[in-house]
Amino acid sequence: MSIEVNNLNFSYGKIKALEGVSLDLPEGAIGLLGPNGAGKSTLLRILLGFLTPDQGEGKILGYDIKHQQSSIRRFVGYMPEDDCFIPGMDAVSFTSYLGELSGMPRQEAMKRAHEVLFYVGLEESRYRLVETYSAGMKQRLKLAQAIVHDPKLIFLDEPTSGLDPQGRKEILELIVDISSKKDIQALISSHILADIETICSYVIILNKGKVASQGEMAKLKEIDYSLYEVKIIGETQNYLDKLKRLKCKVEETEEGLLRIYMPPDQSPQEIFRLATEEGVQVRHFVKSQTSLEDLFAEAVGVD
Amino acid sequence: MSIKEKGYSHWNGEFKQGGLSWLPIVRWGIRLTFRKKFFKLLFFISLIPAIVFLVGIYISERLDDFRFMIRESTDFVQINPAYFKIYFTNDFLLFMMVMILVFCGAGLIADDLRHNALQLYFSRPLKKKDYFLGKVSVITFFLFLITLVPGIILFLMKLIFSGSFRFFASYPWLPVSIIIYSVFVTGFFSFYTLFLSSISKNRRYVAIFIFGLYIFSDILFGIFYGIFRSQYFGLLSIKSNIQQVGAAIFNQRTPYDFSWILSLAVLLLFCLLSAVVLNKRVRGVEIIK
Repeated sequence: MSIEVNNLNFSYGKIKALEGVSLDLPEGAIGLLGPNGAGKSTLLRILLGFLTPDQGEGKILGYDIKHQQSSIRRFVGYMPEDDCFIPGMDAVSFTSYLGELSGMPRQEAMKRAHEVLFYVGLEESRYRLVETYSAGMKQRLKLAQAIVHDPKLIFLDEPTSGLDPQGRKEILELIVDISSKKDIQALISSHILADIETICSYVIILNKGKVASQGEMAKLKEIDYSLYEVKIIGETQNYLDKLKRLKCKVEETEEGLLRIYMPPDQSPQEIFRLATEEGVQVRHFVKSQTSLEDLFAEAVGVD
Repeated sequence: MSIKEKGYSHWNGEFKQGGLSWLPIVRWGIRLTFRKKFFKLLFFISLIPAIVFLVGIYISERLDDFRFMIRESTDFVQINPAYFKIYFTNDFLLFMMVMILVFCGAGLIADDLRHNALQLYFSRPLKKKDYFLGKVSVITFFLFLITLVPGIILFLMKLIFSGSFRFFASYPWLPVSIIIYSVFVTGFFSFYTLFLSSISKNRRYVAIFIFGLYIFSDILFGIFYGIFRSQYFGLLSIKSNIQQVGAAIFNQRTPYDFSWILSLAVLLLFCLLSAVVLNKRVRGVEIIK
């Protein structure tokens, strides 16, 4: 296991950012999900040693997160969420500079900088000053600096934020390639569920500083509730109230469909029985697949 | 060609071990400073005092050849510790040091804060002390080039031009004074610059702070001295305090009639406060409580 943490607690003054977080993560791409303020960035910062946990312990690649932070950082790459660069440098200089700061010899860092800039698709513009780069190019550059020293593990904080659909697709392709074919484990923090669903096999959902759910994506998506999509014609309010009394969760989509999550002890026939009782027509009925969005909604308690 | 076809190969080299991880910061700091407009000209101007004083040393050993220029006065060409003190603490050199700090130091931390680069540094196996050491070394490089290096060269040239070690025998402590003063003034200006560079994200504001605080402190001294006629107000002036301590280091009479220890205490207190602020301002993550 490359990431193991046990009972991590961290507070910013009186505000508890992480509470009793324990993780034992497998190889591969791991998604870290959670609403804003859930503690995702704090967790990444603790794993990188930027912050020291108030309580708890952990190991990254076998190195203690409290006492061996330098060793961790040597073998870990970090792609921050914010725009970050050093003005006055071109991309090659910037990337090789950060390679050198990771401990690479100067010549090797320069050679490696060219390689990774080719890999992320910045070969044409690698001699341009980094402050002249577009948002998409900066994201690629941040990825390049994160992998220049050939880390065993990379932390990616919102890797697709601020990108257009094409740029997002390309960055995701890169991450999939890195994490699936290059023996580099990736921990990806994002609030874009579709990204995590595309690239990760394992997911952790944080909510209010606690682990709300974690596990293999495929297994987690098999949540207890059964999902049905239904179109109802008629007065729906009483019908919805009765469904809720049966402990069903109901969402209304923009297309006017009802997404009904039925608990395991209820039969889908109840949908029709209640419709008959309330005198509404069921015009469309499909058993649907639960998505990561459903899992997320269930884990963080969003109705 | 799609991204996946471009390939990625693992690096099989070995990471460097040891405590020199800050060296790339120095190298790039110096390189980026020399790329700035007008810096080379400014740097050359700051070497003018060294050239003038070197000529003075040469003339002192060839008095007969230059008698027509200096006429009766030989005060100018008496080479002794006071001569070195004048070189190190003259207003022009101190002013040029501040100007160099404006160019090389204003953006050292301010740029990193503005462009969120601190997290890039600290996500590497780099400690805070390495980061500061790298930044201080950039300042040290430039200030040593106009203090320590010319000072030692002037001393050596005096020995070479005189063709004997009599000067060294008369003032064996002078090289030590040169080193101590250079380290002292560079140390103070390093704290001064990094502190000011850390309090704003805008390098232009920092440049104004570096220049303005130095000038303003001296103006303040002038105003208070004009009103109260007390030289103790010299403690408010950065320049006066440096000159006071400089005179003591070169074993000369201090320019103001208060103890140089007070000046040293003021400068050290400033350094201490700067260190506290720097420690708070420079961290891998911005923590909002």
